[in-house]
Amino acid sequence: MSVAGLSPNFKMAFDANSQVFSLAGIIRPRSVDEIADSIAMLKQAIDDVRGVLYVDVKRLIQMNNTAFHAFVRVALDACRARADLRVVIVTSSVVGWTTRMFAHLNQIEPQITVEVYDSTFYPGQSFVEDTSFIPVLRAQTKMTWRHERSILPRHGMRPGIAMADICCGIGDFAVLAQKEFQPARIVALDHSKPSLAYARKVAADFGVTGIEYTYGDASEMLLEDNQFDFVTCRHSLQIFNQPELLLKELYRIVKPGGRVYITNEKNSHCLGEPRAQSIQWTYNELARLLSHFEMDVELGPKSRRYLADAGFDDILVESFMVTNLDGAPQDFADVIAGWEKMFAAMAARHGEAPEFIDRFRQGFRDHIFAALHPKGYAGWPIWAASGRKPL
Amino acid sequence: MDVGSSVPAEAVFEPLLQFEMEMGTFLSEWQHCDHLSTYLARMISHNRADPVRHSNFFSSALNELLEVSFRGGSSSGHIGLAIYRNGPTERVQITFPCPPGQIPFYREAVSKIDRSDAHSRYLDAISTDMAPSRESILLDLAINFDASIRIEENTSPAVTLIVDLPLEGLVS
Ligand SMILES: C[S@@+](CC[C@H](N)C(=O)[O-])C[C@H]1O[C@@H](n2cnc3c(N)ncnc32)[C@H](O)[C@@H]1O
Repeated sequence: MSVAGLSPNFKMAFDANSQVFSLAGIIRPRSVDEIADSIAMLKQAIDDVRGVLYVDVKRLIQMNNTAFHAFVRVALDACRARADLRVVIVTSSVVGWTTRMFAHLNQIEPQITVEVYDSTFYPGQSFVEDTSFIPVLRAQTKMTWRHERSILPRHGMRPGIAMADICCGIGDFAVLAQKEFQPARIVALDHSKPSLAYARKVAADFGVTGIEYTYGDASEMLLEDNQFDFVTCRHSLQIFNQPELLLKELYRIVKPGGRVYITNEKNSHCLGEPRAQSIQWTYNELARLLSHFEMDVELGPKSRRYLADAGFDDILVESFMVTNLDGAPQDFADVIAGWEKMFAAMAARHGEAPEFIDRFRQGFRDHIFAALHPKGYAGWPIWAASGRKPL
Repeated sequence: MDVGSSVPAEAVFEPLLQFEMEMGTFLSEWQHCDHLSTYLARMISHNRADPVRHSNFFSSALNELLEVSFRGGSSSGHIGLAIYRNGPTERVQITFPCPPGQIPFYREAVSKIDRSDAHSRYLDAISTDMAPSRESILLDLAINFDASIRIEENTSPAVTLIVDLPLEGLVS
C-alpha cells in the first residue's frame, strides 16, 4: 500500500506466510504521525509472527532519521518485551548506507541481526562474478556485435535515445552501442564488481565518457520507472534463476512505447563439423549441468513467451548464428576455450566424476577443432527478441 | 574530523553548484527537502564512477541537512547551499537563518561529534529517542557517512554547517 502524504514511491507490506514485513521506496516523513499507519502495521506484524520477523529493506531507496528512529523504536521495544522474537533485517549491498545504519542495531539488541541479501543471491553468482569470466565475455561480445549492430535498429535502437544495458558485464556492448548509435544517455548496470571495474577502466583507456556504470541487482534496481527508450539485457535472463523478475524490472524502467531487447542462447544447439557427435553430447550435457545451477541456457526460443508473460506487445524474435567464418576462426576458438575452462570448473563443483569431466571437455576441444579446421564449420546460435511496453 | 581547520573552501575544493532560496518559500513545503536533495544529488553525481549510487548516498546525507535547516530555521532571510568537490569528497556548505539563542546548541552538537564517545552516544540516541535530535542526525552523518562537520560563525543570526562527505570511497 501507499500512504497518503508520503512519496507515492513508498510501499510497505506484510506477508504473514513468510513473516516478511517490507519497506520500499522513499520514506521521508516530517513527523512520526505521518507514518502512524506504517508503524501500526509493523506492530501488528510483530504481534502476528512466531519466531523470526524478517524486515525487508532491500528496496528502501531513502529513509530519513525520523522514520528510522520510529521503526527502530518499535523493533527494540518488541524485542525487549518478547524474548522469543528474532528480527532479521534484510538489506542490500547496493544501498550501502542502509546496511551501515541498521547494522548498529545488533550492538544494541542481539535479537536483531542484519543480513545483506545479495552477497549470495543466485546459484551461478560465484562463477559469473569471478574475474576469470572477463576474457570470455570480451571474446563473446566481439563476435556477437558483428551480427547485432545490424539487428539492433530493427528492435528500436536509434541515435539520441536514453538506453540502459542491464547485466552489462564488462560493458563493451555499451561502448560499442555508444560509438555506433550515439544514444543521448547510457546507463550500464551489473552486480559483478570486477566486471564493472574492468568496464570503467576500458572506458577510461579509450577516452569514452558518458556511460553511467552502476552496481546493482537487476531484479531490484534503484533506477526509476519509465526512464528509458530502449533497455537491453543480453545473455543474462538465462543465467539468473528468476528471469521473470528481471523482466518485470526491465518492463518497469522502460518508457511506455519503448522496447526491451533480450538475447539468449539455446546451448544444446551449438554445433560443429567435423566431430559433430562429441560436440553435440557436450552441449546437451552443458544444458543439463547448468540447470543444476538454476540457469536455463536453453532459454532463447522461450523469449517470446517470457516477453508476452511480462506484458510486452509487438514482440519480435529472430535468431542468428555466430560462426567460425564470421571473422577470425581463432576468435571463435577463444570463446570455446573460455567456456571449457569455466564449465569444467562448474562440473567439478557439481561433483561430476573425472571421466565425465574429461569427456565433457573433449566436446569443447572438438568444437575448437571444427572451428580451426580448414574445411570445418562451428556455430553458436543466439535468439534476439524484443517487446514493446504498451502505451 | 577537521573542526579546527582554517583552510578556505575555495583553496582545495572546486565549486560545483550554488543554490539560494527565500527561507519563507523553503519552509512553505516539507517536500522541498526531499525534492532538492534528490535533484541536487543527481546533478553533482553525474560524473562520479557510479552516478546512480553516489546520488542515492549523497541525497540521503543532504536531505538530513536540509531537514535540520527546515526544523531549526527562521522564516526571514535566505537558505544558501554550496557544494564543492575535492577528489573523493564533496563538501556541503549550508547556511540558514535561525533564532540567535539556538546557535550555541548547534555549536555544542557539532563539538560532540568529535568526542571519543560519539559511537556510544549514537547508539544511545537510537535506542532511547523517539524522534531524532539535531545531535543524533549529525552523529548519523559522521558515523554512517564518514562525514566531518564543522560550524562557522556568522555576523547575522544564522548557522553555517560545513560537511565533508567522502562518499566516492564508500560507494565504490
Ligand atoms: C553471461 S553475462 C553477460 C554479460 C553481458 N551482457 C555480455 O553479453 O557480455 C551475465 C551477466 O549478468 C550479470 N547478472 C546476473 N544476474 C544479475 C543480477 N540479478 N543483477 C545484476 N547483474 C546480474 C552477471 O554479473 C554477468 O555479468
